[in-house]
Amino acid sequence: MLFQTTQAHEELRAKIRAFAETEVKPNAILMDQESRFPAEAVKKLAEMGLMGIPYPKEYGGAGLDVMSYAIAVEELSRVDGGTGVILSAHVSLGTWPIFAFGTEAQKKKYLVPLAKGEKIGAFGLTEPNAGSDAGGTETTAIDKGDYWLLNGQKIFITNGGVADTYVIFAVTTPDIGTRGISAFIVEKGWKGFTFEPHYDKMGIRSSETCQLNFDDVKVPKENLLGKEGQGFKIAMATLDGGRIGIASQALGIAQGAYEAAVEYAKERVQFGKPIGFNQAITFKLADMATKLKCARMLVYSAAEKKEAHEPYGVDAAMAKMYASDIALEVTNDAVQIFGGTGFLKGMDVERMYRDAKITTIYEGTNEVQRMVIGAAIMGKPPKGAGGGSSSVAKKPAPVTGVRKGLILKEGDAKERVEALVAALKKDGYDFSVGIPMDTPIAQAERVVSAGQGIGSKENMKLIEDLAKAAGAAIGSSRPVAETHKYVPLNRYVGMSGQKFKGNLYIACGISGAIQHLKGIKDASTIVAINKSSNAPIFKNCDYGIVGDVNEILPLLAQALGLEEKQPAPPMVKMKRPQPPKPEPIGPRYVCGGCGYEYVPELGDPDAEVAPGTLFKDLPEGWVCPECAESKEMFIEA
Amino acid sequence: MYCVRSVTDNLYWVGANDHRLHLFENIHPIPRGVSYNAYLLLDKSTVLFDTVDWSACRQLLENLDHLLDGRPLDYLLINHMEPDHGASIEEILIRWPDVKVISTEKAFMLMRQFGFHIDGHELIQVKEGDTFSFGDHTVTFVEAPMVHWPEAMVTFDLTNGALFAADAFGTFGALDGKLFADEVDFDRDWIDDARRYLTNIVGKYGPHVQLLLKKAGGILDKIKFICPLHGPVWRKDLMYFIDKYDKWSKYQPEEDGVLIAYASMYGNTESAAQALASKLCEKGCTNVWVYDVSNTHVSQLVSESFRLSHLVFASVTYNLGIYPVMHDYLMHLKALNFQNRTCAIIENGSWAVKSGDLMQKFLEDEMKNMTVLNDRLTLASALHPDKELELDALADAIIESMGKK
Repeated sequence: MLFQTTQAHEELRAKIRAFAETEVKPNAILMDQESRFPAEAVKKLAEMGLMGIPYPKEYGGAGLDVMSYAIAVEELSRVDGGTGVILSAHVSLGTWPIFAFGTEAQKKKYLVPLAKGEKIGAFGLTEPNAGSDAGGTETTAIDKGDYWLLNGQKIFITNGGVADTYVIFAVTTPDIGTRGISAFIVEKGWKGFTFEPHYDKMGIRSSETCQLNFDDVKVPKENLLGKEGQGFKIAMATLDGGRIGIASQALGIAQGAYEAAVEYAKERVQFGKPIGFNQAITFKLADMATKLKCARMLVYSAAEKKEAHEPYGVDAAMAKMYASDIALEVTNDAVQIFGGTGFLKGMDVERMYRDAKITTIYEGTNEVQRMVIGAAIMGKPPKGAGGGSSSVAKKPAPVTGVRKGLILKEGDAKERVEALVAALKKDGYDFSVGIPMDTPIAQAERVVSAGQGIGSKENMKLIEDLAKAAGAAIGSSRPVAETHKYVPLNRYVGMSGQKFKGNLYIACGISGAIQHLKGIKDASTIVAINKSSNAPIFKNCDYGIVGDVNEILPLLAQALGLEEKQPAPPMVKMKRPQPPKPEPIGPRYVCGGCGYEYVPELGDPDAEVAPGTLFKDLPEGWVCPECAESKEMFIEA
Repeated sequence: MYCVRSVTDNLYWVGANDHRLHLFENIHPIPRGVSYNAYLLLDKSTVLFDTVDWSACRQLLENLDHLLDGRPLDYLLINHMEPDHGASIEEILIRWPDVKVISTEKAFMLMRQFGFHIDGHELIQVKEGDTFSFGDHTVTFVEAPMVHWPEAMVTFDLTNGALFAADAFGTFGALDGKLFADEVDFDRDWIDDARRYLTNIVGKYGPHVQLLLKKAGGILDKIKFICPLHGPVWRKDLMYFIDKYDKWSKYQPEEDGVLIAYASMYGNTESAAQALASKLCEKGCTNVWVYDVSNTHVSQLVSESFRLSHLVFASVTYNLGIYPVMHDYLMHLKALNFQNRTCAIIENGSWAVKSGDLMQKFLEDEMKNMTVLNDRLTLASALHPDKELELDALADAIIESMGKK
């Protein structure tokens, strides 16, 4: 093997280099100084068909390989790192997930204009509390039947604001960790989708980066990308590819700085000869060239592996980590070779020195790259060794299962109550009908329930009024019936008392002891009203209002309507979603020598086979851990 | 006195019946006894297919002496080395010092482990697909690993169509004179023991039974006799039994029906179980079977679990856990790789009800493809009429899920 690019690759390189030298380089200083997006250059890149290099022609792409894409990013970055990342973020992050996970309709609608460069793409994963650890994602998308309701923020988004199409990650099932994250395609211009001003960055200043805000953005059902719960998988797969782009960018920046340094070392004369012949400088150049060669090999090898559909995640991580680490070293040496001249604004190496820094940070910090590479070597740490995985739930799911957990905070008490009633009506509740207040709990479609927070017995009037307005039966927590005797014993709700299996449960002044929560886990909708915002009931409700029952209850009764209710038709149970069960990652195999079952989710820790290793990927020479039979003795379970 | 029966020309059953053993494998009760089957082929050479448990060795020797009538025993063919069949090997080796032993590599290893002195004899090691001729009869060997031991093979006589099936197609129950499955009312008198035998002894190895069935499928039209190591020989209606094996080894129920297994200390959980049974029957679902786990041997519970489509686990909370006998039953199901059932839970507790959550977690996390219905019935000490609606909902959910399958 000759480790060489093809002639076609070099022709493409020459074409892009010519473009970069004539169209990008002359403006690079200005773009850097003014932090301005090179819209003209990007438009021309599109016209040249370079915005969709690795995508098939039938989807508007150039139908070239991953290596061609890497070369394009490298060559643009060689003159301007910012322009390089515009292409990288567009191709690898904004476009690839749609190409890899999109439906045919999504590809037609979104991939084609992206690949043609008519539209620009971006990718939104990072949040204030979720960067390297996607398990901390707080942006939510709630299934509203016809659409997903997206709320949250994304930060540090490359191409943010200039991009037209965004792949956004949001939690669709809370509290189950990364398995609860899903991906969505979101368009600029949708109501509630806004941008913060462009960050003032240290480097890559020609690339636009900003915060995205999602405020009740309605995402059409068909814009779910991949399956529900697949978001983390999509994000990780995307980042694997994105790392090749960033590695190429780092390589290009370093290459540009190196070439400038060589040229300068030949021109600048001290002690009677060009400084490049001073061994201190010659050796620097030798080191720079060697590092560049290593980095280039890693980057191209990862690109080739990706193209050949070989596993390339570790290769991409190594390429990104190494290329960016040496980009800092090479640009630093370049500035050093330039001496004081290199320290001046307006010098390319000064800009490259600043541009290089981001490459060790984004697309996964180099510390994260080392985690990725290290995990492939060591497998998962033994249980209990610390360093919890983000793929497992951070905390147990609420007792009442998957809930919306919308705590209404906007506006004064009246506005919050009105928002609640509006939300309930939208969910399908009809408050012109009702059931008798003494309907047995187990048969009741709606229950208004009193907890100890209700206070003195006179306040039960508030509960009665609310029950009447809500068309509901009356229930209570155990102490309210058992200790305070405000209601008969058969009206307390809980695991040991009556179970509520109807639709709407309004908990007033109930803190939410586990035994109570277990009695309402089948409720379709749980509303919590309590003055303590830390009450467990709020973690177990669909809608919550933090406030005093004396204030909220009369307002709520008013808002629901005090008129006489029509008799309710027979109850139709509103279904609630079940949390998705994890799919097996691959078939299990049984040993014909002893009956041992190989479970890919567990791997074989004693043989240093990492959890998640499929049976077919077990290493050569692996034998049954129980009886030492070879792989051939196994059959599929 | 010898006690033999002819299977077909020149092939004889030379085994023995055992009514003295209480617990098969020292764990499973066998009130109807058990037979240890060995078979003798009188060809140009004489061949003994497997031996018997040590307790039945004298009967085997008398049978052999009678049929051999002075001829030497030329070959001892061992399909399965478990001691209820292999224990008399040493005695055969001593009595016929020139006997040649035919078996698999692993079986020879096990013979040495058990302390049989085989190394002075000619050992003929065979593997899948080998053939061997005894004169008129040629046999071929089919490996049957993990049905239910690793060394097991089955031997097929290409001449008369007899399949020596090792522990496959066996059953509890002494033969007591009958030899063929068509000489008894198998579906009435034997199937429960056959199911209890297979599911408890071989239940874990469903994938390997499936593999063996697939291999047998290729020669199905040539099989004339299935000669197992326990229970009757099959020569008619083979598909009846093969279908049962197919279901058990795929962990598919034989019939739609509800098993209600309850663990009750003072009868309150039992009362709830009975109430549910009545509700189900009243609603038209009458294939309902109620068992007290404390008074039913776990092998019976396992067997009934394999038979039926729906399982209700009703357990009191005990030491803040699952009632130990119920827990043991669940552990048996898990160990046997039991799967693919719809379950419901009734839990009871007087101050902290834990058994339901724990059973649900066990079913969902420790076992495979078990669907637990949402409609759990929770009792605080005893079931009262105020929960009748929940009882109805549970019965309805069970019946509804039956329709969905």
